[in-house]
Amino acid sequence: MTEKNSRKELIAHLADLDETYVLKAVRHLLDKGQDPLDIIQDCEHAMRLVGERYEKREYYLSAFIMAGEIFREVMAISQPSMEQRLVGNASGRVLLGTVQGDIHDIGKDIVELALRCYGFTVEDLGIDVPPQKFIENIQKNPPDIIGLSGLVSVAYESMRETTHLIKEHSISRQTAIPIIIGGSTLSEEICRFVGADFWVTDAMEGVRICQRIVQKTNLQ
Amino acid sequence: MSAHCTENKFAITKTRKLVIACATVIEEMLPLLPPDVEYRILDFGLHVNPSKLRQALQDTINESEGQFDTIILGYGLCSQGVIGLHSKNCTLVVPRVDDCIAIFLGSCSAYHQQSRSEPGTYYLTKGWIEVGESPFSEYERMVASRGQKHADRIMHLMLNNYKRLALINTGQHSMESYREYARNTAQRFGLRYEEIEGSTIMVNKILNGPWDDEFIVVKPGQSIRFEDFFPNS
Repeated sequence: MTEKNSRKELIAHLADLDETYVLKAVRHLLDKGQDPLDIIQDCEHAMRLVGERYEKREYYLSAFIMAGEIFREVMAISQPSMEQRLVGNASGRVLLGTVQGDIHDIGKDIVELALRCYGFTVEDLGIDVPPQKFIENIQKNPPDIIGLSGLVSVAYESMRETTHLIKEHSISRQTAIPIIIGGSTLSEEICRFVGADFWVTDAMEGVRICQRIVQKTNLQ
Repeated sequence: MSAHCTENKFAITKTRKLVIACATVIEEMLPLLPPDVEYRILDFGLHVNPSKLRQALQDTINESEGQFDTIILGYGLCSQGVIGLHSKNCTLVVPRVDDCIAIFLGSCSAYHQQSRSEPGTYYLTKGWIEVGESPFSEYERMVASRGQKHADRIMHLMLNNYKRLALINTGQHSMESYREYARNTAQRFGLRYEEIEGSTIMVNKILNGPWDDEFIVVKPGQSIRFEDFFPNS
């Protein structure tokens, strides 16, 4: 099978939630020297197909969760190859957590793995994180980027409170630490309400924003 | 209370109201619905896709233009499915709540109190159990299609960090069978079972007013905005 066909098959089988095929195919592609970034991009493509099937109600929520789990496993398998390629190319440090009042962490955990795959150092504060805990961690070891995760509507106010507190504590800093909010229900309006700098609804977009932030900082 | 009536010496104007609600919320509204208020039920599954929910709501509003003075939405912010809704001729009324859990508990503050006490709570009501679109009903489908081992694995992922299963009892229905279902479900998936007291206060206010600061009231020609849900921000 050609490389192009193998990658097409990978996308199709992940969209069909065929875990056994996907994991075997990923190992095979990595063994043949395939760039792990290509594999992750293919998985991202498949995740979009799963999302579309979920929205069309061809899939239930469980399928969406299963796809996320396979994606997580793919990233875990790909991480060593990614690390080999990223030696000497240190990225930034990201402080991550699901905000107070929310306990959903599937998206946050995928973002964490994806960031690690791309060479970021991640400090994950877990779920239901009070604003003060973010502040304590920022003061102890200031990150390059802060990621606030949340799914339910209750999280919006919590994200807002956390963002405001972080910005209050950043007044004395020369440059404010960029804040990204992430979650599948977020929008531009929520980002404005929260006062965050960026918003994302999928993990890989989050990684790309982090890369842009770090590149911009390095250029300054 | 029946539909609001305004009387003057020249005419009697009756306010014609329409309620649009999803299948779960209408369950709590029907026992309290004034006989002269019409209602439309939208599919609960629309919540999966907020833009489709918004379109279905807007289509229903558009179809109702000219027949009603006021359209009451039995929804909350609901993943922003109500944002941008508008009517040419009708006043739109929507409770200022995150989602329908606040409606069943009687207020936003009651919901926030529950959420603070245990963020990892999965809520059930009679309507949700009957609609059958919870992870628990998916479990049975997964067992049938892909076996118990797979179903258990996915449920573990879906319920990760959930600690409590709370059955909201609004006092409007006989709860025995739902209680049994919720208790058995909690036990099956290792959650703490609690029956929590709901309230009909919000449902009553939605249907009959007063539409005070717990509500967003949008005049004809205007749209529901995200910031309307957070007036103090």
